[in-house]
Amino acid sequence: MMELTIERLSKRYGQHFALRELSLRCEPGMLGLVGPNGAGKTTLMRMIATLLEPTEGNIRWNGQDIRTHGQALRQVLGYLPQDFGIYPEFTGRQFLCYLAAMKGLPGSLVNRRVDEVLSIVNLEQEADRKLPTYSGGMKQRIGIAQALLNDPELLIVDEPTAGLDPAERVRFRTLLASLTSNRIILLSTHIISDVEAVASRLIILQQGRVLSDTTPEALLARSAGSVWSVTTDQITAMQLQASYQVSTMVNQMHGITLRIVSPTCPHEAAVEVSPSLEEAYLLTTGWQAVRV
Amino acid sequence: MTITVLTNTATPPRVIQRSPLLARVMAWELRRFCASRLFWVQALGFFGFSLFLTWALHAPVNFPQVSNGVQFTGFVAGTSAWGLLRTLPVVLVVLVLLLPFITADGVTRDLSRRTHELLMTTALPTWAYVWGRYLAGLVMSLGLALLLLASILGMGWLLHLTVTDYPAPVIGNLLLLWVGMVLPATVLVSSFGFALSTLLPRLSTLVKVVILVAWIVGALVIPLGLGRTTPPPAWYVNWDPTSGITALGLLPSYSIHLGPTITNAVQLQQLILTVENKMPDLAGWFAPHLLLAGCSLALVLVAALAFKRSRDTFS
Repeated sequence: MMELTIERLSKRYGQHFALRELSLRCEPGMLGLVGPNGAGKTTLMRMIATLLEPTEGNIRWNGQDIRTHGQALRQVLGYLPQDFGIYPEFTGRQFLCYLAAMKGLPGSLVNRRVDEVLSIVNLEQEADRKLPTYSGGMKQRIGIAQALLNDPELLIVDEPTAGLDPAERVRFRTLLASLTSNRIILLSTHIISDVEAVASRLIILQQGRVLSDTTPEALLARSAGSVWSVTTDQITAMQLQASYQVSTMVNQMHGITLRIVSPTCPHEAAVEVSPSLEEAYLLTTGWQAVRV
Repeated sequence: MTITVLTNTATPPRVIQRSPLLARVMAWELRRFCASRLFWVQALGFFGFSLFLTWALHAPVNFPQVSNGVQFTGFVAGTSAWGLLRTLPVVLVVLVLLLPFITADGVTRDLSRRTHELLMTTALPTWAYVWGRYLAGLVMSLGLALLLLASILGMGWLLHLTVTDYPAPVIGNLLLLWVGMVLPATVLVSSFGFALSTLLPRLSTLVKVVILVAWIVGALVIPLGLGRTTPPPAWYVNWDPTSGITALGLLPSYSIHLGPTITNAVQLQQLILTVENKMPDLAGWFAPHLLLAGCSLALVLVAALAFKRSRDTFS
């Protein structure tokens, strides 16, 4: 049974805590990690990926501290950083073959595995083009492909859908959903709909701490009765926007329709509506997070 | 849209092959070098330059007769021991201008290109990564050094076949000077550049500049200054890694003094022929040069031991 345990994990840069006494226990399934910029998502992922040393606390993979047994973790790790580089001399296929070799895949398996992951990310046609000719989205797909090369038990993906077009985003979400049965997937993202579509568990980080460890369903249920819709004139819309957390604002023929996240009714004409996960997230993180 | 589920494959890819890790890193790094057009341009440019220098050295020069001031023209073959002592330090400067760009960034390139995180999260052991990158760079550097040897030999034979009185290259002498001067310099600069850049990744550009400036000063500036005044001290002749001062210390044994018996250019050329391929004196400098190269390997070992996969910088 694979298990990732994080105990009282802290990361400090000088006097600033990027993460503070964070504890988590993860079992197979998809864990969505969301939070405002600077919440500590990337720091947490980089520490789990053995790229950063914790200041305090420890991370255990199947009971073993990764500081002393990092190699055991790396053998089953797939990692897609938020921002990664390429070797401009290589084609997409060569790049993947290279990383497959570095991951220790047997030579006889490399070509087959590379073909498989190229097919998964829909890059078979462009595989023999040099990497500098790739668009941002294609480069991101190569990054996803390399993370899958060794069929990881622990897959860490940091902002994986950034730069992907909507069709590719849906495709990637479907792929992630198909992978969740026998591995732990940590998905960090700003796009709440990505988490909503695939994650069974949701961790909201804020200022280096776990603000909420819940499920999308529970978060939605908790937010019921706190989202409102109102259609009004422009002046009133501006006043509401200044006073409340507005999640959407749509100009229509007969006025401006706002969706407002508020525990109390913001306007006499406002009607209660079902919250989206994004609105539930905004309600949890509060006004401060939106302004970050 | 079809999604291939990875775990459905017959052979699980989690089987990690452990045996040829170092060879894998080296092979892929060499493939990367070979896929770079810039590298081939540099190699060809260097080959062309060393061919040109060897050819240019067969141009006649004047040798004055001490007794009556008459001058006769003759040439010293660039592929002879005498000629090599004059050209090798200069060609080495050109080679050294290239070497730091091949080896110094073996590891730091991943940091600057942001490929570091992709590699450091693989199961590749640290020792295989660092030594594989170093050895790949060293192989490419030695390839350039061999190119230098090939260019000298090739041009030497070409001139021997086409120019009257041009002696055939004496392979023993040539190899000896290559092993004593070019090989240690190549290993030294490659290792020094790689080790310092790996230890100080933020300063890798400065490391390259310092190596290049130090080499130019040691190989060209100091010999120019010393050559016109006093003979260099023996320890400096023996331990000079650039071979500029070493050559300066060895060249006097090849000087010729034209006596009254030399009455024409043909006689002069015959005299030069008897001197120019004399075996250079190896005592003193040969072993120290190899020792310097060996010491630089120890520095690479230090860099490999000090290398950390996780770091708080270069995110």
